Amino acid sequence: MGLIDLFKGKFVDPTYPGVHGGGDIITTSLDAMIKWGRKSSIWPMPFGTACCAIEFMAVAFSHYDIARFGAEVLRFSPRQSDLMFVAGTIVDKQAPVLKTIYDQMPEPKWVISMGVCASSGGFYRSYHTMQGIDEIVPVDVYVPGCPPSPEGLLAALMKIQEKIQKGQQAKEPQGAHRLGASGAGAIDRRARRDDWAKDDAARHAVGQSPRGRLELRVLQGDAKEEHHG
Amino acid sequence: MASITATAAPGVLAKPAARVLAEALGERVLALEDFRGDLAITVDRRGWVEAARLLRDHPELDYKLFLDLCGVDYLDREDREERYEVVLHLYSVSKAHHVRLKTPVPEAEAKLPTLTGVFKGANWFEREAWDLYGIVFEGHPNLCRILTHESFEGHPMRKDYPTARRHVLESPRELLLKVPPGSENLVINIGPSHPSMHGAFRVQARLDGETIVDAEAEIGYMHRNFEKMAEERTYWQIIPYTDRLNYCSSFMNGHGWALAVEKLLGVPAPPRAEALRVILSELSRVMDHLVCIGANIVDLGAITPFFVMFRAREDIYDVLEACCGARLTVSYVRIGGLAQDVPEDFEARCRRAIASVREVLDQTDGLLTKNIVVQKRLKDVGVMSKEDALSWGWVGPCLRSTGVAYDVRKDHPYSGYEQYDFDVPVGTTGDTFDRYLVRMEEMRQSLRIVEQALARLPKGPVITDDRKVALPPKSEVYGTIESLMNHFKLVYDGILPPPGEVYGYTEAANGELGFYVVSDGQKHPWRVKVRPPCYNIYQAYPEMIRGGMIADAIAIIGGLNVIAGELDR
Repeated sequence: MGLIDLFKGKFVDPTYPGVHGGGDIITTSLDAMIKWGRKSSIWPMPFGTACCAIEFMAVAFSHYDIARFGAEVLRFSPRQSDLMFVAGTIVDKQAPVLKTIYDQMPEPKWVISMGVCASSGGFYRSYHTMQGIDEIVPVDVYVPGCPPSPEGLLAALMKIQEKIQKGQQAKEPQGAHRLGASGAGAIDRRARRDDWAKDDAARHAVGQSPRGRLELRVLQGDAKEEHHG
Repeated sequence: MASITATAAPGVLAKPAARVLAEALGERVLALEDFRGDLAITVDRRGWVEAARLLRDHPELDYKLFLDLCGVDYLDREDREERYEVVLHLYSVSKAHHVRLKTPVPEAEAKLPTLTGVFKGANWFEREAWDLYGIVFEGHPNLCRILTHESFEGHPMRKDYPTARRHVLESPRELLLKVPPGSENLVINIGPSHPSMHGAFRVQARLDGETIVDAEAEIGYMHRNFEKMAEERTYWQIIPYTDRLNYCSSFMNGHGWALAVEKLLGVPAPPRAEALRVILSELSRVMDHLVCIGANIVDLGAITPFFVMFRAREDIYDVLEACCGARLTVSYVRIGGLAQDVPEDFEARCRRAIASVREVLDQTDGLLTKNIVVQKRLKDVGVMSKEDALSWGWVGPCLRSTGVAYDVRKDHPYSGYEQYDFDVPVGTTGDTFDRYLVRMEEMRQSLRIVEQALARLPKGPVITDDRKVALPPKSEVYGTIESLMNHFKLVYDGILPPPGEVYGYTEAANGELGFYVVSDGQKHPWRVKVRPPCYNIYQAYPEMIRGGMIADAIAIIGGLNVIAGELDR
């Protein structure tokens, strides 16, 4: 379908300002024109590492057919692509590779974080798994699911198209503050037990009872207890 | 020796491996166990290499297939004298028998002589045991980090390493190979992000023209710590994690895990569940092989066959989705059966999928098998000999392509595979084309099994009624106090297996997928080790491509079907 056909007749409202002669002549800004072209011919770079990459294949192939959205030209070279699909878990060993590839993509570029592993580490809260790729690269659209359904991924692609048309683009890694976080919230049970034992011993040495034990205080007769009741 | 014969369980010494080792090593054999049919021999570390060599070479034993080697950390366990233990699993193809060889390793001197001189495959496994547990293997050619990255500190699988403590990788290793000074050879990286590396792994090759002079592989780009997570999950909660091992055929991993735990518990699944498991496993095998062949051919430059093959995959997805609601990561298995019964139109859906796969296979045959380009690219490329394949620990279609007819479904039938009539295709030369042919034929055999299982699908429940293993039905939970309590106890306490250790193994799409489960009687397993078929297969890859052409390296890797999730766990 040619550009002119698209604007003619039913695709363009002839009463719309800028549309003349029933759609034969259209006046618009060059910027809007470029964005329209850009969003209709996305060249994705599939950074597939795990299960999500298999589901990405399903989206790319005939049944779901990513070509309907003009995004079927998959490029494995970052130099030739403008949308990165991060499909799969990114572990700390892989992180510098992902960053390098992102940096090698020419501007403007967008990133879809496909699935919960790429978005937040998923259910791998562990010593070698990055807790979301937004620790190192900016993410435009997060897709939930483990893996997301193909429809979900296509919805994300349409969101990216909207963003492109609106000229929006994420610039900063949103979760940079989490980079290398030691997972302090998930202390090993054994370490926690040892900490408690040390704490109990220290309190015992100074005559205090272990934390968490309620003790009754006996009020002295002449003591003035604050009372706000 | 006298002490061993006295303490050994009755009947253990009747097993040849136990008798031969007890006679040859005498007092260096520390214990002989036979739990749930698994023979386990514990030796002193002074007899470690000798015992392994004896198991391999003794004509009565012939344990030539190297399966697995791993460490275990028994921190704070009163029943153990030493903190660590190294466990080796071997298999004898001719005697059709598994054996487990163990040796305690003290914390103060965590050292063990290397087995790389006995089994080629031990190389990466010992590196892994060092990486994750800090056990030093003396004499190992290249003892460095393998799964974790270079900036990693500590040994994460030790029990006193906090699960979530991460380290940031500052500077990745540029050179895996040693390049001689003054060399004009070109060093190239294939992967970790490369279209022909399905998943994430890296090969570095030194080229002289188009010939590969030297090559080295690096893995760990997908090491997301299944085994560490498993130590903090209950036996049920591990099921979703297993789905993500070999994600091309998720169902089979769950099947293997459920069988391993059922073996530990001694609770079998009902016949209907087993038959359904077989059907879905075989359909998953077809899915896996379709992706393997399709991706292999894409790497060679032909994308059409993959488009054709993926259509059949979508039809199998339909079956899985109808059963459990998920397409890829199904989590449909439960310990003791299945999550729920299949829908009413299950058989019709299966038949539709079978017809679709048949059609696709015929088309693929026409497109590829007699295609002169495919033949020229795949024939006599990546040849592997029988002996080497066993020593590396190859299994599954890759091993069978070399001419060794080892298939767990035939040699150790599980889930009722003995009822079905099917053939095990075997190759003759062990090249990439043979691997392609074996996979094509296996898919047809899988369809045969599915048809037979559908024809005689038993009626009845799909999960065991053992209330210590399976949740009671909802109608009972809402109706009776006993069932409510059962439900509460089981959810709260989890499944509590007896203390002990088992090795459960099934024939997954890539070959023998094993789960070595150590239980201390608590709701979380003490240790879960996956024996990943890809790990052994990919280990041989650098040696296979050395001296060949760079284009052949790409043709070989697709035929091996290395899946990163299973490789790195």
